[in-house]
Amino acid sequence: MKLLTCPVNGTRPLSEFVYGGELRIPPAAGCSDKEWADYVHNRHGAPGLKQEWWYHGPSGTWFIAERNTLTDQVIRTYLKGQEGSK
Amino acid sequence: MSARLTKQQGEWINRAAVVKFSFEGRGFSGFEGDTITSALWANGEKVLGRSFKYHRPRGILSLANHDVNVMLTDGLDTNIRGDVAPVSNGAVFEAVNTDGGVRKDKSRIIDSIAPLLPVGFYYKAFHTPKKMFPFWENVIRKAAGLGVVNFNYPRITKPKQHIHCDVLVVGAGASGLSAAIEAGKQGLRVVLVDENAQLGGSLGFDWGGSQESGKLLGELSAEVQALPNIQVITSAYAAGYYPDHLIPVVTKDGMVKVRAGAVVMASGAFEQPPVFRNNDIPGVMLGSAAQRLLHRYGVKPFEHGVVFTANDYGYRVAHDLLEAGVKVAALIDLRTEVDAALPAGLARRGVKTLQGSAVYEVEPASDKFSVKAVVVAPYNADSAEADTGSKTRIECDGVAMCAGWAPAANLLYQAGTAMRYDYGVHQFVPNKLPAGIFAAGRVNGVYALADKLADGKRAAVAAMRHIGKDLAEAASVPVSASAQSHPYPIVMHAKGKNFVDFDEDIQVKDFINAAKEGFDNIELMKRFTTVGMGPSQGKHSNMNAIRILARLRGVPVEQIGTTTSRPFFHPTPIGHLGGRGFHPHRTTPLHDVNAALGAVFTDVGPWKRAAYYTVPGLGVQDTILAEVEAVRSKAGIIDSSSFGKIEVHGPEAGVFLERFFTGLYADMAVGESRYTMLLDETGVVVDDGLAHRLEEELFYLTSGTSNAAAVYREMQRWQQLWQLDIGLVNVTGSYAAINIAGPLARQVLSGLVNFNLGEQQPHSAREAEIAGVPVRLLRVAFVSDSTYELHVPTTQAAFVWEQVMRAGSSLGLKPFGTDAQRILRLEMGHAMPGIDTDGLTNPLEIGAQHAIAMDKPDFIGKRSLEIIAKRPLKKALVAFALNPGYAGEMPFECNLVIRNGEIEGRVTSIAYSRTVGRVIGFAYVAPQHSAVGSAFEIRTDGGAMAPATVVPFHFLASQH
Amino acid sequence: MPLRLLKYALSKEYPGTRFFQAHTTPKKSYDVVIIGGGGHGLAAAYYLAKHHGITNVAVLEKGYIGGGNTGRNTTIVRSNYLTPEGVKFYDASVKIYEDLSEELDLNLFYSTRGHFTLAHTESAMRTMRWRAEVNKHVGVESYVVGPDEIAKACPQLDLSCSGKAPIVGALYHAPGSVARHDAVAWGYARGADRLGVEIFQNTEVTGIDVQGGQVVGVNTNKGYIATNNVLSAVAGFTPRICEMVGVETPIVIHPLQACVTEPMKPWLDTILVSGSLHVYVSQSSRGELVMGSSLDPYEVHSTRSTLDFVEGLTSHMLDMFPFLSNIKVVRQWAGMADMTPDFAPVMGKTPVKGFYLDAGWGTWGFKATPISGKTMAETIARDQAPELIHSFRLSRFEDYELTGEKGAASVGH
Repeated sequence: MKLLTCPVNGTRPLSEFVYGGELRIPPAAGCSDKEWADYVHNRHGAPGLKQEWWYHGPSGTWFIAERNTLTDQVIRTYLKGQEGSK
Repeated sequence: MSARLTKQQGEWINRAAVVKFSFEGRGFSGFEGDTITSALWANGEKVLGRSFKYHRPRGILSLANHDVNVMLTDGLDTNIRGDVAPVSNGAVFEAVNTDGGVRKDKSRIIDSIAPLLPVGFYYKAFHTPKKMFPFWENVIRKAAGLGVVNFNYPRITKPKQHIHCDVLVVGAGASGLSAAIEAGKQGLRVVLVDENAQLGGSLGFDWGGSQESGKLLGELSAEVQALPNIQVITSAYAAGYYPDHLIPVVTKDGMVKVRAGAVVMASGAFEQPPVFRNNDIPGVMLGSAAQRLLHRYGVKPFEHGVVFTANDYGYRVAHDLLEAGVKVAALIDLRTEVDAALPAGLARRGVKTLQGSAVYEVEPASDKFSVKAVVVAPYNADSAEADTGSKTRIECDGVAMCAGWAPAANLLYQAGTAMRYDYGVHQFVPNKLPAGIFAAGRVNGVYALADKLADGKRAAVAAMRHIGKDLAEAASVPVSASAQSHPYPIVMHAKGKNFVDFDEDIQVKDFINAAKEGFDNIELMKRFTTVGMGPSQGKHSNMNAIRILARLRGVPVEQIGTTTSRPFFHPTPIGHLGGRGFHPHRTTPLHDVNAALGAVFTDVGPWKRAAYYTVPGLGVQDTILAEVEAVRSKAGIIDSSSFGKIEVHGPEAGVFLERFFTGLYADMAVGESRYTMLLDETGVVVDDGLAHRLEEELFYLTSGTSNAAAVYREMQRWQQLWQLDIGLVNVTGSYAAINIAGPLARQVLSGLVNFNLGEQQPHSAREAEIAGVPVRLLRVAFVSDSTYELHVPTTQAAFVWEQVMRAGSSLGLKPFGTDAQRILRLEMGHAMPGIDTDGLTNPLEIGAQHAIAMDKPDFIGKRSLEIIAKRPLKKALVAFALNPGYAGEMPFECNLVIRNGEIEGRVTSIAYSRTVGRVIGFAYVAPQHSAVGSAFEIRTDGGAMAPATVVPFHFLASQH
Repeated sequence: MPLRLLKYALSKEYPGTRFFQAHTTPKKSYDVVIIGGGGHGLAAAYYLAKHHGITNVAVLEKGYIGGGNTGRNTTIVRSNYLTPEGVKFYDASVKIYEDLSEELDLNLFYSTRGHFTLAHTESAMRTMRWRAEVNKHVGVESYVVGPDEIAKACPQLDLSCSGKAPIVGALYHAPGSVARHDAVAWGYARGADRLGVEIFQNTEVTGIDVQGGQVVGVNTNKGYIATNNVLSAVAGFTPRICEMVGVETPIVIHPLQACVTEPMKPWLDTILVSGSLHVYVSQSSRGELVMGSSLDPYEVHSTRSTLDFVEGLTSHMLDMFPFLSNIKVVRQWAGMADMTPDFAPVMGKTPVKGFYLDAGWGTWGFKATPISGKTMAETIARDQAPELIHSFRLSRFEDYELTGEKGAASVGH
């Protein structure tokens, strides 16, 4: 990947973007300490298709990229909450 | 003795322009268009370099930058590649890596002790006894290396250009020209790149005794020229393949980053040497090198030589030699089965052919500077041995070697192409190409001229279809059915010196011995023998290495695989690659004002901030203390414009703040200011600042300098998740910030503001006008209890600063910088994230419980804090003062707190406070030693133990 | 010339023998199976045999030995870390390294050059002092130096960095060294092989058989192997192996890139690191400048190279050494680094009995090769991690007891 498509600003060189890590869903309120520690520290490190946070710096846009971390291919990008409306 | 021929058709030299230069202390002349090597060869100079390991004399091998036999220095530059670098008037060249010159190199002794230097010899000795290793290492380091670096070489950064095109064609030989023309005719934007100075590839030199290739080249070149949408870049190589079809093209003058819709790799093939004893003596060269000399530079490779071939190509070379008037004593063909027309064609011109024979060895002159004869013997293909019982000796002064080709597939590999070994053509060819990448010509296993032209067209059509052109697929062109390469062009010799890798002086037995030691995997063999690790990266050696290893292991070539190809195609200068020097720094709107006041700047995050303001005749330390004193006794003014400034507006702004920060904000009155602390999800302190409620639905957030951008980014991310009814605006660049601090601060400002300053309580904020300029006026207490922070529209910053300075001039108002600010905030007892915390500090360790509303439903880091709170505290930040009377070495920040010989903590901030009259600071200590009055010791750089006592955080209060 | 080379000149038959046997088919079971034939895995095998008499050991390598990060790193060995735990651990590694060529009877070209971590700002100098003080406390020779001492060790360095980032001082670390990385793997492989360990190349683990919370075997492309003890030493692939046994870790994979120039005559004797300029550089005994930079900014399980990396690195190299403009970069490459949130490794036991982890080696694995092998061998032999690696245990994340090397390791190598 050398180019990335911001859902708002279009395809731009990767240097304009900041990686924000995997999109992770916190455990429900009332979870155990162990579950919470697992959530904040552990990661799904194995390769595969992941939903990730990416930030387009010049426009200040956070969005989600679905990317294969093995091949570095981006399947699609969308604004959080607008998954369906690609 | 000149080897220069009369003018040749299509030659690259300009005989009207004579170029004078020197080599190894002697003067020579050549022509414009000559390379250093071709000019020297024309003058009869054959010893052009010394090899890396054995310091053997070397001449031409490929004349194509596929080897580094000729590496020169001109006194300024080093490792100049003579085969491709143009000769220039007045240049003074010497070979690199010699001790006493290329002819008298004292290091040539190494060649005669070669038996003592088996493969990987440096692993086998020199390490014992251990104390001798530094001696030997020094010897080895000095012997290794190539050129000497010139420490006075100027910094040169070459420009970078970006080009977007539809189709990039790499290589302008027959197939590349054909591809470019095909795509060009469709009106597409085509870039055609070739590393040579002129178009044509082998069309320009592989003539086989006929003029047809030259004529065709003229026609194709004219077609390219007639298509303005084809951009031709010559003397430029495609340096590597990077994702999304980004290919940097390196020219003499810079780098062109080509982003292509599709790529046609028509990069050709590297000719591979047959391997026999003394195949490196000057005068022994590749057939293609001989052809290049003849046709490009009009230079005879030798006077009466032999051709040693293992393919049909050698016959073409022989014809070219004959055409140029070179005597060909014989053609020695490793093969037993040859198309009878080939030897017959030579026989007609008086050249005898020896089939099924090998050059067993070259007999060099005693100085090894030239060829005296070759010894030829029948070849047994099964054992790779020559039958020395029936050898013959042929006197000659040169050998043209043709054994086959290796595809120039470097970029194809980098792009992820799967290759297969084709037993028809006997080379690796692309099997599965990545999307948008196409191969044509010899790199694709296609050799006959008509086939290459057709293959170029086919690839161009496929490339155009890839980018969406509606074209019918072109018929595929089959891989050459006849072998263009010999499956095993290796001739064993008991005495060795049959070189496979000329960069690294690696002989056949080195591979055999490496395998004996277990390095029988291609990658391990590469690493152990260093084959392919020299500057030419295996262009002339990897294929033979694979063939040798396959035979040693008794497996087919394809099971050996190839070593990984990495950028760059050719070694690429640092000055071409670098250049994009990224040192982003920001200056505040008051930068010039500060500079005029004598500010000395320091880097804070990306910002340049005033550290202090020089006073003539006053030392730095006293200057800083005077700035502190001004704030404590009268008033000071500081440019805080680099602070982060963020607006949160909307009905749910308070809700947002309460989720984001640790404290309570929803209940703030308009005009109130409160402390903010940001944690990460693991409960670590990230940043702090202030929230000012300017309106019911507008919070103005201010924070430190370094983290501002990252904090704003995090706000935006969480807002994406929370989807609250708010807006976020980063106004850091819109407002300058000016703090006026000290007992007289109110007096300084009172005449400038449009309201009664006495009405503004500490920890409050309001909109106001100063000297008619609308500002946000914040009552903060970071450096002094009496501080006013003015947030001024950037464009008005200098004006307001001037107005304040003028108003304060009679009151003793002085500018102060970040150094004084550090002491002032320390005196005030304010710990700073990033200075008094590290990447793992939680708020409980810095005693920030007061800032945390654990009874809120949630905030970032809350759940982790609940867990942390259950565990014993491991350290505690305390305020301390050095004991009065301590006269030893002064501790610095990050000196350690030592108790009973163990590390208990460290000093995070420390300074002499003239106000307090003591050295004060913050330090981490064990929680059980954190009570006010507890004693501890700080170990200084020099090892002195400085006694300190824990004191209350507000040093000024504790003083009064 | 050393006499030991004479035999190569005088013998009729080449006197070299295989470093390690060419095993192809694993036995049905082993006492210990080590996944990963890099420096760490081979060192663990060597010390299992040597120190603990456990020789029924198989090392499974999916490619060729030393082909992962052992053969891709920039070969710097140092111990100037930030936490006392880190410094002690890496110092123990340095101590083994210093005698390792003799012990393995293979010249690893372990070359002590001295190591400067350059500081371009006062805040960087704070961290240098912190590290120096902790190092000194543990008995490691590191101290803060000023520009003059840097200039003395490396007169070619432009102390102003082309006026862009003037150097204010450095952390000097006397034991800082470079070594021939491949040879470390080969030496341990030979040592382990001679003690009876079996090394299998081209042997890939496809699954780990866990029953009742205990490892009972591994599946490989060469069949099933029964074993009760598995060590994962697969930097860059740790998450994939851990997924096979259901062990959660914080490890994510980021590529780490490097590049090398053409050889030149020796001029750079020290090892230089600049955190601000994201550069570390040393000159190999062959004469090449070996250069690296910071991690790639996002997760990729690939050893692809990027142009951005080499452009950024070389431009900063020019700031430090402007005269290198026409020196050529021959090759760039990448490794896959196991990154942890606290920049410290993950070593020791896991919730799965018999599954041991030697992971989280980020950008600092090569320097720890000997000590990680030694301590992991002990961990397996006793089913108990030694005190030296207690702070690196996997459970520290659940316990909120991270190790805090970030401040030192993030600066570089």
